[in-house]
Amino acid sequence: MFRQLAARFGGPLSAAILALLGIWLIVMVTLPQLQMIDYSLRPNLLPAQRGGPEDGWTLANYATLFANDIHRAIFFKTLWSSVLVTLLTLAVSYPLAWYLAKVATARQAALCILLLIIPFWINEILRTYSWFIILAFRGPLNELLLMLGLIDRPIRFLSGDGGVMVGMVYAYILFMVFPLYNAIESLDDNQVRAARDLGAGTLRTHRRIVIPHAKPGIATGCIMTFMLAAGSYAVPALLGSPGSRWFTQIIYNWFFEGGNWNQGAAYAFLLLVLCIGFMSLVMRVFKVGLGDIAK
Amino acid sequence: MDGSVRLEEVVMRFGDFTAIDKMSLEIGSGEFFSFLGPSGCGKTTLLNMIGGFLTPSEGRVSIGGEPMAGVSVNRRPTAMIFQNLALFPLMTVFENIEFGLEVRGVDRRTRRATAERLLALVALEGVGQRRVTELSGGQKQRVAIARALAVEPRVLLLDEPLSALDLKLRQHMRSELKAIQRKTGITFIYITHDQGEALTMSDRVAVMSAGRLQQVADPMTLYRQPATGFVAAFVGENNRIEARVIDRLGERVRLDAGALGELEGRVGDEASLGGGAEVALYVRPEQLRPVAAGTSGDASMGGSTLVAEVESVSFEGAWLMVQARLAGSGEALRVQLGSEVSRSFADALVPGEAITLGYDPAETVVLPRDGSPRVDEATGEVVEAADV
Amino acid sequence: MSSQRLLGWALRGYVVVFFAYLFLPLVVMAAATFNDSRFPTVTPWDGTTLKWFGELAADGAMWQALTNSAIVATGVLLLAVPIGIATALFLNTVSSRAKPFLYALILSPLLTPGVIIGISTLIFWRQWGVGGGIFLTVVGQATFIAAYVMLMVTARLQRFDRTMERAALDLGASQWQMFRRILLPYLRPAILSAAVIAFLQSFENYNTTLFVVGYDTTLTVYIASKVRTGLTPAVNALGLILILVTVLLAAAYELKRRREAARVAGV
Repeated sequence: MFRQLAARFGGPLSAAILALLGIWLIVMVTLPQLQMIDYSLRPNLLPAQRGGPEDGWTLANYATLFANDIHRAIFFKTLWSSVLVTLLTLAVSYPLAWYLAKVATARQAALCILLLIIPFWINEILRTYSWFIILAFRGPLNELLLMLGLIDRPIRFLSGDGGVMVGMVYAYILFMVFPLYNAIESLDDNQVRAARDLGAGTLRTHRRIVIPHAKPGIATGCIMTFMLAAGSYAVPALLGSPGSRWFTQIIYNWFFEGGNWNQGAAYAFLLLVLCIGFMSLVMRVFKVGLGDIAK
Repeated sequence: MDGSVRLEEVVMRFGDFTAIDKMSLEIGSGEFFSFLGPSGCGKTTLLNMIGGFLTPSEGRVSIGGEPMAGVSVNRRPTAMIFQNLALFPLMTVFENIEFGLEVRGVDRRTRRATAERLLALVALEGVGQRRVTELSGGQKQRVAIARALAVEPRVLLLDEPLSALDLKLRQHMRSELKAIQRKTGITFIYITHDQGEALTMSDRVAVMSAGRLQQVADPMTLYRQPATGFVAAFVGENNRIEARVIDRLGERVRLDAGALGELEGRVGDEASLGGGAEVALYVRPEQLRPVAAGTSGDASMGGSTLVAEVESVSFEGAWLMVQARLAGSGEALRVQLGSEVSRSFADALVPGEAITLGYDPAETVVLPRDGSPRVDEATGEVVEAADV
Repeated sequence: MSSQRLLGWALRGYVVVFFAYLFLPLVVMAAATFNDSRFPTVTPWDGTTLKWFGELAADGAMWQALTNSAIVATGVLLLAVPIGIATALFLNTVSSRAKPFLYALILSPLLTPGVIIGISTLIFWRQWGVGGGIFLTVVGQATFIAAYVMLMVTARLQRFDRTMERAALDLGASQWQMFRRILLPYLRPAILSAAVIAFLQSFENYNTTLFVVGYDTTLTVYIASKVRTGLTPAVNALGLILILVTVLLAAAYELKRRREAARVAGV
């Protein structure tokens, strides 16, 4: 590898390239992950006990999750809610991506994309915070519904998982729209026209032509959205209630309230496994590779 | 300043594929030298070896008498004009031309003076401040030449630089290139698959096929005395008639062409083609002249005649191109008739009509039959020599 | 045909609703800034005021957090951009059987939840005695931001005509001169974009930062803590300013990008 680099960039520059890459991949990416796994497999000991007889590899930290009913419930709640957020986001994004890619004129599409990007530039915390204001007990949404006579009493939107899911769909929608848009955009218009011409209705055209073509985009969007949702801390922390805790909050508590990093590392690793599992599943279902995802 | 280039038994292999097969050649200082050959013949590989972009698997390359082994691209006394020119799009014309001097640490003043002198040489005064992306194709071409000349190379390597231009500009640039080469006295090594370019500009041309040299000669010799069947077919148009030598008198040979009867021809190289040798006779379309039917030909022409049946006639303005088939063998024959044929004769040339043609054996060439080239039936172009 | 047309209008209607959904929260938040109410809300409207801006300006902790964010973002820029460029150059140059594996490893920070990057960074550096703080925040954020930089630089690098490199060498440039004078200027627009993105990504990051920030506070962490504890419309004032700044930055960046695109297209 150095030879190929040196042939193009010369020795010093190639050495710098490899050094930067090495520092990143080894010191910043790989070793910390390995260290985290190692931590998760060791008991939480006092400094004096480290290296002592009790210091050995154990699966005890993982067993905790399955022994603790609340934690286990939150883990699976996080999983299902993240899947739900992903599906909701997909459903909300698909028509828009279709509009941008195939219905809008070039100027309209350019304007819409700019409009889409603007909220993306704004802090996730702030975007979530806006929902906090809207969904508040005495907030504008309740006022509006009361005014319209749709409800008699204000609803506590922020007491269950509902607020969290709304906030997440909002926060991660762009990670779904853009991959979808890119994928649909590359579809040849004539294919759609041909399908219509052959008598296929709108639904069938999408099911048989557009969606199969947009598979890599759908897969990418779903993987990103799921990962962001399952790994989100900001949204549940801001929009959730004590009764709707997210798995990331449990992890945080192990680190900064329970003071048990080993236990926290085990939970963090489980979260990572969850994300990798979802990613592999989506990649298998949609038959796409890693190369299709990073675009 | 010695700009001679010497190749000694140079071999270039890519894995199992041999791109250049033991090639030896000397190119004189100040020569305009072309490599001509179909795509894939190895000419670009050769240029890259001279320029230092490739290291030969075997053999030696020397420039100006100095061996080039271990001398990297940026230290060779060569400069290349790339097929796509490879001008630096983010730089102005001046910056492009001055680049080679800038990296050598030449001061601004001298650089600018050189650039202006070179722009004058390529007839592009006044565009120095423009971005290269604003220039036309022909102007870019000239900037590329000026940029290469700025580093005062001993050898200029040109990789089909005219192929991107339209026909008219291409023909204009030919004379321009030749003029620049004369003015500068630099060795030009030019590679092309366009024989027109090679023949009009070069002092000498090397015809290449499948990694080997077929013939190295001045353009006139190449055309009139091709050394191999490949050259005979690749350079210009040629009719090929298979025959067997009956006997030989000096350069003249008498041939038995089977159903076509007895023909005469001239032995091209000094190869000893004795009686009984399997040969091919090459007669150029423009050497064939109509003669009265039934005669054994004009005595002054040596007596060979060919009878053919007209298949089609196309009027090209200055000449008529007749596509015919030889009576007897059925082989295709192309005949180019110039102003010497009368209107009434031309009008009588209709498909199906028989035509009797004579030629001057001194203007033909007879070559051993091996190495017969394969001609693409659809395009009429030489694809590659069959067994070289 | 008429059902087709109906669907078309339904789609357009949907798009309008979508954008309303996208912008309404931001409008509500901005509006709440000017409400003379102790809580951040637009209902009921207790009169218009600018006092929350004054309150914000007097908030020393906010200014400290802003300074920290700027320091962290600068650090991330200096670390992630060179790494991203180097990785893009590496991927563009090297062909090896190990490349698919390396590529997966290079992309992995993008597919890993931010909290996990924060956690693993925190754990890893503890053994060297480095605890949470500005330094770890820079390291943690740069871990995944470098991958974004890599993607952006790679996209441009793939369109680079390598004959240009050969031409530069042929004209006598050293490999370093070729890199400095030809390749780097070519990559400049992508590098600048990547730098802007890296800066903003760092500025707004929360999930990773939360774990590695220690007792220091970045602006995002500060806002989040305000939302959960002493919530006043001063937070909205801060949000509004941030929104205006980002929108202006985004517009300027977009404008510049378009001008560049137009120039290239005009060529």
